[in-house]
Amino acid sequence: MLTNNFFSLEISVAEAEKRTGKNTVNMQEIYTVYLIETRPVDALTEGITPDSLWRRYSEFELLRNYLLVTYPFVVVAPLPEKRAEIVWHKLSADNMDPDFVERRRVGLENFLHRVASHPVLCNDNIFNIFLTEVNWKEMVYETGFQAKADSRLKAVNAAFRVKNPDGRFTELKHYSDELQTVLSQLLRVRARVADRLYGVYKVHGNYGRVFSEWSAIEKEMGDGLQSAGHHMDAYAASVDDILEEEEHYADQLKEYLFYTDALRAVCRKHELTQFELEMVALDLACKKQQKEELVTGTVRTFSLKGMTSKLFGQETAEQREAKLQVLEQQLKEGEEAVKEKNTESDEFVKTAWVDIERFKDQKDRDLKEALISYAVMQISMCKKGIQVWTNAKECFNKM
Amino acid sequence: MSACTPKSLASSGQKPIQEMCHPLGAEEAVLTPSPDVRNITSSIGEKDQILPNGTPVETSSPSSSSSLLNRLQLDDDLDGETRDLFVTVDDPKKHVSTMETYITYRVVTKTTRVEFDLPEYTVRRRYQDFDWLRTKLEDSQPTHLIPPLPEKFVMKGVVDRFSEEFVETRRKALDKFLKRVADHPVLSFNEHLNSFLSAKDLNKRQGLALLSKMGESVKYVTGGYKLRGRPVEFSAMGDYLDMFTQKLGTIDRIAQRIIKEQSEYQVELREYGPVYTTWALSEAELQGPLEGVASCMANCSSALDELTQDMSEDFLPVLREYVLYIESMKIVLKKRDNIQAEYEAKLEAAAFRKEEKASCTQVPTDVEKCHDRVECCNADLKSDWDRWQNNKRQDFRQLLTGMADHNIQYYEKCLAAWESVIPLLRDKQPQETETEED
Repeated sequence: MLTNNFFSLEISVAEAEKRTGKNTVNMQEIYTVYLIETRPVDALTEGITPDSLWRRYSEFELLRNYLLVTYPFVVVAPLPEKRAEIVWHKLSADNMDPDFVERRRVGLENFLHRVASHPVLCNDNIFNIFLTEVNWKEMVYETGFQAKADSRLKAVNAAFRVKNPDGRFTELKHYSDELQTVLSQLLRVRARVADRLYGVYKVHGNYGRVFSEWSAIEKEMGDGLQSAGHHMDAYAASVDDILEEEEHYADQLKEYLFYTDALRAVCRKHELTQFELEMVALDLACKKQQKEELVTGTVRTFSLKGMTSKLFGQETAEQREAKLQVLEQQLKEGEEAVKEKNTESDEFVKTAWVDIERFKDQKDRDLKEALISYAVMQISMCKKGIQVWTNAKECFNKM
Repeated sequence: MSACTPKSLASSGQKPIQEMCHPLGAEEAVLTPSPDVRNITSSIGEKDQILPNGTPVETSSPSSSSSLLNRLQLDDDLDGETRDLFVTVDDPKKHVSTMETYITYRVVTKTTRVEFDLPEYTVRRRYQDFDWLRTKLEDSQPTHLIPPLPEKFVMKGVVDRFSEEFVETRRKALDKFLKRVADHPVLSFNEHLNSFLSAKDLNKRQGLALLSKMGESVKYVTGGYKLRGRPVEFSAMGDYLDMFTQKLGTIDRIAQRIIKEQSEYQVELREYGPVYTTWALSEAELQGPLEGVASCMANCSSALDELTQDMSEDFLPVLREYVLYIESMKIVLKKRDNIQAEYEAKLEAAAFRKEEKASCTQVPTDVEKCHDRVECCNADLKSDWDRWQNNKRQDFRQLLTGMADHNIQYYEKCLAAWESVIPLLRDKQPQETETEED
């Protein structure tokens, strides 16, 4: 359950269940639904039953897409993995695997908490409806957000052709690429390390068996060997809990790995607005030049118009006057457009950068906490190891 | 070494099974004759036991009960306090000559025994010399279990026989061998041991020793006689040895597997730490903590390296050496069987002849000699078995607690590394504004 100062509701993703139904191509499918429970913050411990409704993963995706489009200057929290990737061998990559479903449940709850604690997003109406209204989909489609979405192609095009993006965004893009690379690598290696650690612990279980067998043929040594064997079994079994805990650490890293996409999305939006501004400014400059040419009568650059007037004679004064008028109008409009785009761009940069700073602080805090709890986990593992081997040593001494 | 409490000798002549002590019931008793008994034996006027190769057997016959009693009361007390012979093998050195390159070890002896002229000796010996000693001991004490030597030839051809690791492993095994011999109440008084420990140059007469060794092995191991009735206790010993060998083999395999898994774990660890370092390069606030974690992992990695090395160097060789020890024991059991078989055959032949002659009332002396040899052998074997069981118990206690210690040390090193990182991670926490609580 989350309580914070921004949001009036406590939120939890309490359960997960399997459902069957027909999908879009009318085929039978099995999917998981998650129970979202909400309760007013002041009704903390009164035993008031929370409101609840069930949501599928795809509905979370829809909500997130809506937020991305509607608040392009916000670094929107990511969703947990759709499919289990980067697993070590023990975890199945199956979406139906209960461990995976459980971790997804936690991830979805985390997502909702992130949104609810965001100074801007928490006030969004659709977000609130998502939490409380069963038929939220109609309403989210009504917002028409899908039409507002920038096409990917447009964004990539802008990224290539923009001339003067804000240096900070370029740097941020760079950083998010680096972070993505390093976190992917980290998660991959960690999974391999976990795999190996599992092997080391489990083989020690064999000692348990052989000590037991050996103790059967010994007299005085028997008891000591037998008990030592039990400790070896306990040692081998302890790795399951250890690795289970470590998965939580991996999930924390994954969240930030996925966050890099959100960072890049904000950078792309900046590039797009900047590009649009540049285009509009370029257009204005063009028009100004055209006006100048018309007024002074000089043709500085080659134009078909110039050619035709040379060939077919100059335009009449009236024609020129008409053209000028049109141009003046266009110029006025152009200047308006530039002013508008400028404001838009500045607004965007300002609001985006506020959120980016917020994100950076959050990231530093969260990851430091993650590292601390990882270290705490390792310490616990070492202490357990010392305990087991000390116990075994006592048994050996009694041999 | 273990203290011993005098206990009635389990076999003097044929004893009913119930009164024979269980081979695995290795109490602290040592049942071999003390050195001083030799004098008593000769005064009683026992017949000398002579082996086929002409060497006198240096044990007394157990058939006299008074000598039995004396033997027990004069038994060596093998506490540290009353031990009077201390040997050490150390300081390996490489010798390069035109013909060959080899390693010698320093053998230091400290003793108060009268059999030695001086209280202290320091000599240098090579593996060959140890091998010679063992052969001589086997020849002169065929009924006793001689501790094994480390393998003569390097196994699997991968190890460099001049590497520090190999030499150290060998030295430890040689040291153990010599200590076991020096602690043995009979073997430690062997004249060849005396020469080995004290002589400037060993007059080895290798050729002869080799021949006679072969002769003995052939005679006593293959025998030529069919064993009729092996006493239960010796069968039990043989069974135990077979099962024990099996268990040791399994433990060896497990230990090797663990070392392999740990090495593979370490390979991954060595890649894991540096990723944190790379990450630190793109961070500001997190740079310190990430680098801290990276160096912590490097520490854990080297701690693991030490653990793996320790297990390879300390654990596995000792385990393997025990397999050799078991083989030696099996050979001694086989020898005993053959001696008994020989006796039974002769007894049968004599009985046959007796039937024919009808006038013979005496058991022929050579049959009696055989009988004595059997008794002698059984007694020596039993006492050696008990001693071996004791040694085994202590050796394995030491080996396994050693293994536990290595692992504890590994975890302690890792623990220290991680605990030292925590303050670094907690440092310079940014001001918390509104924080989420999970």
